[in-house]
Amino acid sequence: MTWRTIGSVRESPFTQLDFRSKLTVMFVATFLAFFWQSPPLTAALALVILILCLVAGIRLSYLGNMLRIMLPFYVILLITHGFWNTNVGRTPIWIAPETWWLIGGRLQLTAEGLAYGFMIILRTLTLILVIPLAIFTTDLNELIVGLVRMRIPYKVAFAFSATLRFVPLLLEDIQTIIEAQRLRGLALERMNLLQRLRVYSRIAVPLILGAMTRSQQIGVVLASKAFSGSPDRTYLHESSLRTADYAVLVLCFGMLLAALVLGATTGLGRFGMPGS
Amino acid sequence: MIINEQTPRGPVEASAFENGRLMNHDPTICIENLSYQYPRSPGLVLRDINLSIHKGEFLGIIGPTGAGKTTLCLALNGIVPQFYGGRFFGHVTVAGLDTVDNPIHLLAQHMAMVFQDPETQLIANSVEDEVAFGLENVRVPRDEIQKRIRWALETVRLDGMEKKHPSELSGGEKQRLSIAAALALQPEVLVLDEPTSQLDPLGKQQVLATIRELNAHLGITVILVSHASEEIAEFVDRVALLANGELVDVDIPSRIFAHADLLRQHAIRPPQVASFYMELRDRGFEPPSIPVTLGEAARAYEPMRTLIEVNPLAVPSEASEEAFGSVVLSAQGVEHVYPDGTKALRGVSLDVREGEYLVVVGQNGAGKTTLVKHFLHLLEATAGRVLLNGQDVSNLEVSEVAQRVGFVAQNPDNQIFNTTVEAEVAFALQNLGIAGPELAERVEESLLTMGLADYRTWHPLSLPKGDRARLVIAAMLAMQPDVLIFDEPTTGQDYYGAKRILDVTRQLHQAGKTVIVITHHLYLVPGYAERVVVMGKGVILLDAPIRKAFHEAALLRSTYLAPPQIVQFAQHIASRENLSSPSLGQDHALPILTYEELAACITERKDKA
Repeated sequence: MTWRTIGSVRESPFTQLDFRSKLTVMFVATFLAFFWQSPPLTAALALVILILCLVAGIRLSYLGNMLRIMLPFYVILLITHGFWNTNVGRTPIWIAPETWWLIGGRLQLTAEGLAYGFMIILRTLTLILVIPLAIFTTDLNELIVGLVRMRIPYKVAFAFSATLRFVPLLLEDIQTIIEAQRLRGLALERMNLLQRLRVYSRIAVPLILGAMTRSQQIGVVLASKAFSGSPDRTYLHESSLRTADYAVLVLCFGMLLAALVLGATTGLGRFGMPGS
Repeated sequence: MIINEQTPRGPVEASAFENGRLMNHDPTICIENLSYQYPRSPGLVLRDINLSIHKGEFLGIIGPTGAGKTTLCLALNGIVPQFYGGRFFGHVTVAGLDTVDNPIHLLAQHMAMVFQDPETQLIANSVEDEVAFGLENVRVPRDEIQKRIRWALETVRLDGMEKKHPSELSGGEKQRLSIAAALALQPEVLVLDEPTSQLDPLGKQQVLATIRELNAHLGITVILVSHASEEIAEFVDRVALLANGELVDVDIPSRIFAHADLLRQHAIRPPQVASFYMELRDRGFEPPSIPVTLGEAARAYEPMRTLIEVNPLAVPSEASEEAFGSVVLSAQGVEHVYPDGTKALRGVSLDVREGEYLVVVGQNGAGKTTLVKHFLHLLEATAGRVLLNGQDVSNLEVSEVAQRVGFVAQNPDNQIFNTTVEAEVAFALQNLGIAGPELAERVEESLLTMGLADYRTWHPLSLPKGDRARLVIAAMLAMQPDVLIFDEPTTGQDYYGAKRILDVTRQLHQAGKTVIVITHHLYLVPGYAERVVVMGKGVILLDAPIRKAFHEAALLRSTYLAPPQIVQFAQHIASRENLSSPSLGQDHALPILTYEELAACITERKDKA
C-alpha cells in the first residue's frame, strides 16, 4: 500500500509539478481559507481545490469516503452555529414553539448562523482536500528533494518523509492482521459497529509491537545503507522549476496579493459584507 | 574446537589459481578474539572468533539456526554493537577501520549488506529509488546512479519494474531488489545473509553467478551465509562452519562437506552429490574422492564406470486418482488481474482431491500465492470460478472458507496477534462460538499435536521462528479444517528445521487432511508429496506425479526451476550409460528422487576390469 493507492491517484499533469509549487498551492489555499470569512468566497475556494483534486487524479470514491467520515462533524457544526452562534446570528428562520419546555421561544435557528456554519465546513473541506492534493501526488523522494531545495535541513525532510512512509505501512499491517483474523473464522462482515470496534482495539497490541520492531529494523537497514542524515549526498531525482511551476507560483502569489489588497481596501472576504 | 585462522591454507591458493585468478592475500576483514552478548540474551552469542577474510575472497558461512551467523555479519558493519549495544569483546576491522570506533554509515561505504528478510529492508517508494538510496548516500553522481540502476535491475531480472512500488513485488522479487540495491553499490565487501532463500532455483544461480563474476572481476570480497549446501559448495572459496557462536572450522568446501561426522554433529546437510558418494562408500565402493559440486561428481564418476553397473530403479506404483476421495477444491478457468494491470493468473484449472498431498512449484511471480488466495476467497477471480466441495467460494465469506481450508502464510509473524500461545490457538474457536470444556479440549489437542503444550503461557513472538510457524499451524488445526495450505513453509529454516515442518505436514496428511504446499525447495519434497503442479507466468505448465515432474528438466527450467542436484546427476549417469526409458526418454531413465535411491541403483560390475 502506498500514498498513491490510498488516494487512488493516477499519473496526471499535477503529479509532474515540483513539490515546491504544490506546497505554495497548499500554503495559499490554507491562508485564504482562514483569511476569508465570506461563504461564497470560501465555497469558490473549496470548489477550485476540489476541481484541482479531480484534475490531479484523486478519485471521487476517495473524496466520497472522506466526506462520509466528516459528515457527522459537519452536521454538528451546522447545528451549533445555526442555533448558538450569537455573534453573527441576526435573522431567525425558525423559532422553537412557545409550548416547548425550557427552550420554547428562546431557541432559534438563524440564517447568519447557518451561513457561518457552512463557511466553517467549506474552510475545513479546503484544508482536507489541499493536503492530499500535495502529498498524494508527490513521490516521497521528490518531496525530500523539494524540501531540501527550500533549505529545510535534510534530517528534518527525511524525518517528515519517513513519517509519511510509515502511514501506508501501518495501514498495510492493519489489513494483514484483519486478514489473518478472518482466516481464523472472524466474521467481520456480520459484526455491528460496537463488535467491530472491539476487534480493532485488539489489533492495537500486535500493531504497536510490529511498529516498534519495524522501526528498529528500519534503523538497522538505514545505517547499513550508509545513511547518516547528512545533507552531503546526491539525488536521483531532480527538483527543478519548469514553466508550469512558474505559472502556478505566479498565479498563487497573484491571488494572495489581490486577496490582501482587496481585503484591506474593500473589506472583501469579511463575513456579512454586501454580496457575501 | 576454535580455529585461529590467520592465513589461508594451501588448497585455497590452489583453488584460486584453478579459477584463473590469483587471490589477494591482504586481509580486508580481521576478526580478533570476537565475543558478543546482546543486551537481553542469557549468554554469549559469539565466542572468541578469530578469522581473516582476504581481499577478493568469497567466503561461505554455514551453521545451524541460532549458530550466530547473522550476528557475525552484523558485527562486520558495526551494527553490532553500535546499534544493539550489549557486551562486545575483541576487535573487528574492515578495510582498516575498526567497527567500534567508526560510525556505521562510514563502514557502510565499504560494505553493503543484504539481510535475510526482504520485507524489512526495502525502504523506498519505487524499485529504482530503492537501488538509488545507498548510491545517493555515498554521493555517487546522478548519471552514474542511473547507469547502475539499469545494470543492477537487469542483473536480477527486475528491469521494466523501475516505477513499481516495492510492496507490489512478490517475495522473491523483493529479495532480488534487495540484492540489486547492494550490487549497485559495488562495495569492497558484500555481505549476504541468506540472500536467496526466497528465490527460484535458477534465479539463485543467476544472482550468485553474477556475484561470483563481480567477485572475480572487481575483486569484491563476498561473504555469503546460506543453508543451501549446493550453492555454498559451488560458489565459495572457503567455508566457515559456525555452531553455538563458535567458529568450528574454516576450510575449502571439498574438505568441509566431505567431513560427514562434523556435518552430522552440527546438523548441516552436505550437498546431495556428496551424500551420494558417502553412501556409495558406506556400501563398500571406493570413490576416488567425495565431490561437492555437480561438475566434480561427474568427473569422479568416470573412473568408477568400469567397476560398477547401473541398474534400473524399481519404481513403486503411483497412487491413482481413485485412491483419493472426491474433488475438494477446484479452480475452473481462473484468471486474475491485479489493479496495476498485472495478469497473475491466466485461465488456471486444477482439481484437488480429498486426501492428496500436492506441491505447487514455479518461479517467483508465477502466480502460486495468487492461486491459493483464490481458494481462500482472499482474492476475487477476474474470470472463472473456484469451488470448495462443489460450492462457489465467491458465495462464501472468508471466515466460512477458513473453517474448511486452513492457511499458513509465508511469514508466520503476520498471522500472530495474541499475547499468549494458548490465546492464539483459542482465538479461532471463540470466533466459532466454541467455549468451555470443548474449547479447552481442542486447544490442548492442537498444542499437543504441534508440541507446544509447554509454551502455552509464552508470548508467541518469544518463540523461535520454527515454533512460531508451528503455532500458526496449531491455531489452524483447532478449527479442524479438511484442507491445509502452506505457503513457502520452509523459507529461512535450516535443513532440519525445514524437515521438522514438513514432517508436521506429513503427519497431518496421514491423519487424513488434504495438504497443499507451495515451495521452491524441490530437494525437500521427496518423501512428502505425491503430485507436483508446476506453474509459470500464471498458467499450469505441468501437473504430474513427482517422479515424472522432477525429471522434466527442460520444462522446469522454463519456469526458473531446476531439478534437485541428485536428479540432475542421475540424468548425467543415464546419459553416460545410454540408459533410456522406453516411453519417456533418457531424462526419465533413472527416475530417482533421493541420493539413497540412486546409490541403490549402483552395483558392482560382475565382469569388472
